[in-house]
Amino acid sequence: MPELLEIRQLSAGYGPLRVLHEIDLTVREGERIGLVGLNGHGKTTLIRALTHMTGWQQGSIKLDGAEIGGTRSLGAGRRTPGLVKRGIGVAPQGDAIFPGLSVRKHLECGAHTRLAWRERKQRIERVFDIFPPLRPLEHALVGKLSGGERRMVSIGRMLMTEARLYLIDEPSLGLAPKISQRVMAALWDLSVSGAMIIAEQNVTLLTGHADRVIGMHAGRMRGDVGHVELG
Amino acid sequence: MDLGLIVYALNLASIYALMAIGISILWSSVGIINMAHGATFAISGYAAWLVTGALKPVIAAAFGKTALASMVMAGALVGSAIVAGALCGVIIYLLAFLPIHDKPNYPVRALIITLGLNIATVQGLLWTFGPRNQGLPKIFGFGRWEVFGTRIRYDQAGTIIGAIIVLGLTLAWLRYSRRGLEIRAMMQNAEGAAYSGISRQITALPVLMLTGALAGMAAALLSQTIFVSPTSGVIPLVKGLTIALLGGLGSVAGAVIGAILVGFLEAIVGAIPFLGQRYVLFATFLFIIAVLIVRPRGIGGLLDDTRE
Repeated sequence: MPELLEIRQLSAGYGPLRVLHEIDLTVREGERIGLVGLNGHGKTTLIRALTHMTGWQQGSIKLDGAEIGGTRSLGAGRRTPGLVKRGIGVAPQGDAIFPGLSVRKHLECGAHTRLAWRERKQRIERVFDIFPPLRPLEHALVGKLSGGERRMVSIGRMLMTEARLYLIDEPSLGLAPKISQRVMAALWDLSVSGAMIIAEQNVTLLTGHADRVIGMHAGRMRGDVGHVELG
Repeated sequence: MDLGLIVYALNLASIYALMAIGISILWSSVGIINMAHGATFAISGYAAWLVTGALKPVIAAAFGKTALASMVMAGALVGSAIVAGALCGVIIYLLAFLPIHDKPNYPVRALIITLGLNIATVQGLLWTFGPRNQGLPKIFGFGRWEVFGTRIRYDQAGTIIGAIIVLGLTLAWLRYSRRGLEIRAMMQNAEGAAYSGISRQITALPVLMLTGALAGMAAALLSQTIFVSPTSGVIPLVKGLTIALLGGLGSVAGAVIGAILVGFLEAIVGAIPFLGQRYVLFATFLFIIAVLIVRPRGIGGLLDDTRE
């Protein structure tokens, strides 16, 4: 399988703080990768570094063979919209929703490229098929929804991009176990043309579904954890 | 309260609303507290004065003293003020946004740059045009309507109607256009907007042009009541800023309600015999401070029933 994402010697952090230490990671097309690790060990920073949302970063990131990394000391988020257009879809930690917009407007925001905007009606239908609870809430303000519904909106906004690489940060964060299982089930059922990286603390939600589970510890990769058998 | 007082209050409210909404939208989407909004206001006033002065003989030659002539004059005045305001927005984008928007402490730097632009503009206008007040042609004509026994001046009625039309168009554009959707998304969550592919660098330009055009519209409308002078932008800037704060920075509805409240407050305080005009500013700021002590998020906090 061709390599979709190739990370070489990636370091990143915020101000004087170095969070990631020379990370190497290769993601092949069609892979679903689970990223596990405790709080504060760099899962979110890795996902943010892929979209240039860190304070500073250096090292090579190749998406479909094109270099999107490089050394940068300022300008967090400046390249992010461009990278999203290039085919990275992100469902960030804490959802980053727009509280005053309806569910439909939210999903329309996700359809940013010209192609996505033209196909937005079909794509919104597809998101509603993946997350049926959103369909009756189409015109409800997202700021009034429950945590689980917000998570679905946030992931739905990411799916509107039909990106090559999906980055999903802690899809179970703050959700009741039943709802987080439903959200994860929807994620595993997705047909992904590119690849998917899911950062998650709860290893049991990843086992049996992720192609690889990678541990992170103190800003470094701990290699493939494989399918961790728990309990 | 008689009708004349209500009309006067709404007249003030329309000017304040035009200024406050621009400041509010700009702060919440682009992150600039635009101290150059007053400069935009003054420049738009002078642009309208220059253009109408230059066109006066042309229009008089072409249309004579017909109704069409005054309509063309009105169009030239409002159009030139709006275009000048939008151009000021472009200049602010180039000077106070583009070079610094990804540097640390960007909001403070932008505040300082726009403050500098404001001072430089006032001095530049003084240098070029002198301190004399300039009167603009009365586009709504002189005269009054008799409504329910009260007289309403044309310029007051025109200002209110003009402001309502412009604000309606602006809000409709924000609500229904795709660019408006992007701006609203950016106002509500900058990070979420970046992850949706919405670039602040690109979206900031139309926002600055729009808010500049609103200030230009306010200048054109206010020029019907008072003269244009180099410092004419100061009071609208201060009122716009404080009303944007009162409305809760970032809330368009809050800014409109705040402008209406302050407009009525000023009109009423001015009409009370033992207070009068000299207590207007005092009463306004007392009111705004009192509201912000009770509701630190301003009026917008009351309207907002969603959570982050």
